[in-house]
Order: sequence, then C-alpha cells, then structure tokens
Amino acid sequence: MGRISFSRKSLGIPYALFLAIFVVAPLLVLIYYAFTNGQGQFTLSNLTGFFTNPNTLGTLCYSFAISITTTAVCLLLAYPTAYILAKSRLKAKSVIVMIFIMPMWINFSLRITALKEILTLIENNLAFYPFLNAVIGMTYDFLPFMILPIYNTIVKLDESLLEAARDLGADEREAFLKVTLPLSIPGIVSGIAMVFLPAMTNYVVLDMLYNSTYIMGSLIGSYFAAYNWNGGSMIALILLAIICLFTLLTRGMEEEDNPRGGALL
Amino acid sequence: MKREWYRTAAAALCGALLCTALPDAAYAESDKQTDAAYAESDKQMDAGQAAGNEQTDAAQAAGNEQTDAAQTAGEEQAGAVREVTLRVCNWEEYIDLGEWDEEETIDLESGDIIGVNSMVEDFETWYLETYGIKVNVEYSTFGTNEDLYNMLTLGDVYDIVCPSEYMIMKLMAQGQLVPLSDEFFDTSDENNYYINGVSPYIRSIFEENEINGEAWSKYAAGYMWGITGIVYNPELVSEEDASSWKILNDPAYYRQVTIKDNVRDSYFAAVGALKSDLLTSEEFLQDADYQKNLEREMNDTSPETIALVQDYLQDVKNNAYSFETDSGKADMVTGKVAANYQWSGDAVYTMDQADEDDFTLAFAVPEESTNIYFDGWVMLKSGIGEDAAKQHAAEAFINFTSRPDNVIRNMYYIGYTSVISGGEDERIFEYADWCYGAEEDEEDAVDYDIGYFFTEDGNSGDYVITAPADQADRQLSAQYPSQEAIARSAIMVYFDDAQNEAINQMWIGVRCFNIYDMPVWAWALIVLAAAAAVMLVRMKRKKHG
Repeated sequence: MGRISFSRKSLGIPYALFLAIFVVAPLLVLIYYAFTNGQGQFTLSNLTGFFTNPNTLGTLCYSFAISITTTAVCLLLAYPTAYILAKSRLKAKSVIVMIFIMPMWINFSLRITALKEILTLIENNLAFYPFLNAVIGMTYDFLPFMILPIYNTIVKLDESLLEAARDLGADEREAFLKVTLPLSIPGIVSGIAMVFLPAMTNYVVLDMLYNSTYIMGSLIGSYFAAYNWNGGSMIALILLAIICLFTLLTRGMEEEDNPRGGALL
Repeated sequence: MKREWYRTAAAALCGALLCTALPDAAYAESDKQTDAAYAESDKQMDAGQAAGNEQTDAAQAAGNEQTDAAQTAGEEQAGAVREVTLRVCNWEEYIDLGEWDEEETIDLESGDIIGVNSMVEDFETWYLETYGIKVNVEYSTFGTNEDLYNMLTLGDVYDIVCPSEYMIMKLMAQGQLVPLSDEFFDTSDENNYYINGVSPYIRSIFEENEINGEAWSKYAAGYMWGITGIVYNPELVSEEDASSWKILNDPAYYRQVTIKDNVRDSYFAAVGALKSDLLTSEEFLQDADYQKNLEREMNDTSPETIALVQDYLQDVKNNAYSFETDSGKADMVTGKVAANYQWSGDAVYTMDQADEDDFTLAFAVPEESTNIYFDGWVMLKSGIGEDAAKQHAAEAFINFTSRPDNVIRNMYYIGYTSVISGGEDERIFEYADWCYGAEEDEEDAVDYDIGYFFTEDGNSGDYVITAPADQADRQLSAQYPSQEAIARSAIMVYFDDAQNEAINQMWIGVRCFNIYDMPVWAWALIVLAAAAAVMLVRMKRKKHG
C-alpha cells in the first residue's frame, strides 16, 4: 500500500491549468487582436487611434472622474465606520459587520433596481443627475469592499502602540494621526484597489440608472457590437495596462509606508 | 411503460378525490411520482387538472408506442433509427413556451387554443407523427443581431436562426445561407403551412427586396414583423406631438422621453426628424415614386447626413430621459417617462401591461415615416451543409410555427405580429377580431380595415374589425398598423462595411464624452492633482533619503 503523496508542485497543477486556459490564452488572443487590423496584418493604428481620438480620451477622463469620485466617497464613508466598528467594545461586533456584508448576498441587479426606485422617489426624475446617480449606484455597490479591508487592518492594530503613544504625551488626535492612520494605510490601499478599478468599467450600473454616457466598459462593448474587435481589444489592453500601472504604484506606496509588511491584498 | 401509466392514473385519481382549491399549472408539469405525493400531502391538485394530466399522459403514452412502432419499422427498413438533430437559435422570449393557465385559453368560435407544452416539444411530437422521424431540437437564444453574428463568427454552429432583415441581408451577401428548397414552396402540400399561409403583403415584400440580385424569399421565411413608433401617455403628451420623430428632442418633454439604445433605430428616428419638412410636404407625398423616394431618403448615409444625425442625436442625448434597450417598457408602465420610442410588438405588450394597472397608454406612428422590420428564419451553411434530412426538419420547423393555431399561440405569448395571415384558414383574422373587436353594445366603435394584410388585392370588406374607437390608436394600431401607416413605412436596408463603419463611429461619438467638451475647471483640477502627486513623491524621497 503506497502512501499517496503530493509534491508541492503537483498541487499547483490544477490552478496552473486554469490560469493557462482562462487567463493566459485569452490574453494572448486579446494582444493578437489589439495589434492587428481586420485583415490580420500587424498594425499600431489601434494604439495610435486610441490616443488621438477625442472620444476615447474623453471616455477615459469621464471614467476616471466617476471612479475617483466613487472611491473618495466610499473612503469617506467607510473609514469612520470601520474605525468606530473596530474600536467599539460591542459584543455584537461581528453581527454589525455582517450587516455591512449582507447586501452583497442579494442579487446585484435587484439591488440596483431597488436603488433606482428609491432615487426616483427622491429626485423625481433620474435623468437630471446622471453623474450623481452613477456615483451613488457605484458607492452603494462597492462600499462593503472598502469597509472590510479597513476594518480588518484597524481591528488587528497593536493596542500597545497606542498606549505607548499616550505615555509619550500624545493626545487622542495625535495618536490617531501618527499611529492609527499610518498603520491602517494598507487597508485603505487595498480598499481603493477594490473600488477604483471596478468602478472604471462597471457600466451596468450606469445603464440601469440611465446615465447614457459611455465609460470604458461600455465603450469596449460598443466596439465589439460594431464588429470592430481589433479596436475593442486595444482599449481593453490599454485599460489593463492602466490597471497594472495603478497596482504597481499603490503597491510601491504600501511598501514604503509599511516596512513591516502585512498588506491585505 | 405500462406501470408508469398505471401510477399516473392512480395519481390522477388521488388528485380528483382530494381536490380542493388552488389549481397550479406547474404541478401538471412536475414529475408524476411527486404529483402523487403533492396530491396526497398538499391537496393542491384539482380535478380538471388531474384529468388533463391523465389525458396528456395517455396521449404521450400512445405517442410513445407509436414511436416504438415507427422506429421498429424504420429499423427494419434502413437498419438504423432515423434521428435528426436540429439546432435552432431564436430571440429571447420569441416563441410560446407553453404552460398556460386554464383561463388563458383563447376561445375562438372555431375551437379553443391553448399552449400546454412548449412549441418546440410540440414540434418534435408533430414531426414524428407526420414524417416518422425523430427530431431532437437544441433550442438556444440570442440577445441582439450583432450578438448572433459574433456568435456565428466565433464558430457557434446552428442550423436555423431568426435574425432581422438587415442581418439576413448581411448573411445573404456573405453567402452564409442555404436557399429554401422547391418543396418548401409547393402549395399542394398541405403541411406547407408557410407558403399556404403567409400574408400576400409580406410575401410580395420578401419577393421584391433583393440583395446582390437575389430576392429575400429565396433564403428567408418571415416569422414576425412590425413597425416602429411612439408609445405615449395621452394625459401628458398630445397625439400630435407623439406623431413626429421630433418629440425626441422636443424641449417641452425635457427628460421625459426614452429612445432605443442601438444605432440603427436611433439613426432612422434622427433622419426622420431632420427631414421632417421634406417628408411631410405635399410635393413629396404626391410624387409618383413616393415609396422609392421615401426609402432612399430614410436610408441616406451621405457624410453630410451622418454629421447632421450626430449633432441631432447629441441634442437628443441632452434632452431625452435615456437610451434604453429593455427598461423602456417598464418605465412607461410605472410612469417614469411620458413617451417611449418602441417597436410595435413591445408597444402592444407595454399597453397590455398598463391596462392591467388601469393606466392608459397609446401608440402613434410618426407622420414622417416608420421603420418596417421583419424577423425571419434562415438556414445556415455552417450547420445544414448538404444534409437533406436536416434541411427537411428545418423547413418543417418553419412550417410548424406557421400553422395558424401555433401562430396564434406565439402571437398571444410574445405580443408581436406574425407574418402569417392564414390563407384559406380564417383563424388568424378571427383571433385579431377576438382580441380587439368591440362588444355588440359598444357605442363608440370604428371600422378598422386590415385587408391589405389578409388579401391579395388589398380591397375587401371581409377583413374589417369593428373595434372600440380608442383601439384605433392603441393595441390594434400596433398589432396591425393601419393602411396609412403602412403607406409611409420604409425598410432600412443593409449598409455595407464602409457605411457601417461611419455610422458606428458617429454613434460612439454621440455616446462618448468628448475631451474637447471638458470644462476648464476640470483641466485645472487635473493639473493641480498632478502637481500634488509630484510634490508628494518629492517629499517622500527627502524623508527617506
């Protein structure tokens, strides 16, 4: 009876396969389409086209505007909430955290439809405030993704550091600014990463809340609907590049601020 | 098989004995064994249903026996079971899926019509009974013509699909289709329900319209058709305003009108609004070549027109409630918007829904022109190939969906109007009259003539519905457009690649935020943010270095 044993390597095989089939292969196809024209010849015109077309650049700016605003609003709402939650001595803490996560268990389109009705009650006509509605919809959708990582970092903070700060004469405000806030930056960074990037492409929210201006996701969709797979692939690729750049930047910041490591993401 | 039949009978008997309230059609569909359990424990099965169950099962059992017989015969003859697989791809919710409630029965004088099973299942049964061949239908759906085209390009294989006329033309031009066989057009075969029943009006359109010198009718058999128009709330919008495409950018309805979220429909409406004065001028209307001129004007894709359309749609975007693909129907019914650019089939559905809430909506056909559209069945080379048995099944599928009772089931279920008028069979007109005809004591009734659809010569007092007056601009006018509306209808042709490219670019231009429109403060903000970022990085460097 031989003992069944797996080497570490063989345990990784299923995921490697998954990665190859569903991540690497489509990416290669994407790159192929992005750098060819309709006839399959190599071209850079899709790339130059993106940076010379006022519509695509404008869409990029508009998407940035929406996702920056969304991220800022999420952060402003989430940080105090997470802080209060983490610091409270409530026994039912986990229940409250649950309440924040619970909306995520309800079907997405159902939630947005409900939001649509609520906003219609408040605003009377949704079409008057397309930008505001998009930001509200996205905030509503992504808030838990901001609260959770921040909550997790704050809750794990070493209380003795704060005690030391107080011993050394810092008042509450100073202790927060010099100890808690810097140490919770990894949570903030992963929160931002989880909100900012999806907010750039999640056009379903915009569609459902009647914002008729394209963002990056809908722009890509429109290229594919017009059979222009090459242009659409290039936009997707550029978006990927932007996301990579953004991740690298935030990761750099994280490491600088938190030499001990301990990032969530 | 015998034991199963016995068990079902027992279940039905239990149901009959324990009958109480709450008839629920779902149970009729559910597994026989659980049926028995439900009947005993939940007491939810009523007698009628149980009887129905018994009947269907009996029929099925009989059918099965017949299959067995047919199959053995086939095996003896050819030495193999004759089986065909048919891959059908249709629009979502575009065929009767059965499971109607008892009370939904359409009680025509010529007999009741009800959808018990899905049409696809019924087809499989019918094909076996009629031709002795077992057909397995693999039924799937698509969301838009463009989706379907992309699916085909990516290598999905279907035998028969149901795109709109312009996509049919595109597929025809690319040589992707198999022509319909001569047998399909044989009027002497009584199973050829399509050619024997298609409306003469539709047939002539399919014969007269060509691409690359080939008539549509060579490759395509119609399924549903309709026109485009405006669904509106008569309390908020006057009929006159709703009868022009100009309502879309009318400041009087600021943020109260929705428009279709696809480039072709929007383009048509924009051209109609831009050329409104020309299209409604006496001179234009009286011209001997009116129909021809109209089609040319509505399909104008000159660069100047495209530029004008872009500006116009930009205005529409700033004035309308939103672009929508599906939400417009619900928004109309819940009163979020006052008017809604709609396809006639969905218009019928919207008005029906509103009626249920005691909320009245109406339908208007813009006076400039209306886009008449068709969805039709075509067979694909990539699926059918040279397989004659497959092609026979595909054509039989078209014929089966064209059988008058099935046409009525589909029309009732999806709300759209079939291209079938029934030929000798009067049931389709009877159904229209059943839906929209006035009660005998109706005081305010009008005669609504739809002879153009039902007869060859278009003149005939036989096809007049005496309808309540308001129906003339409500469901009836959307289900069967009036002759005047049809007179100003134009087909939107298939654009070639260069035209498509130009129009799609125009559309992206309309929908995107143009960077030149960015306000100064936004630029200032970007500069400030960049400066702040640079400062931050510098400070960090200093601190660490």
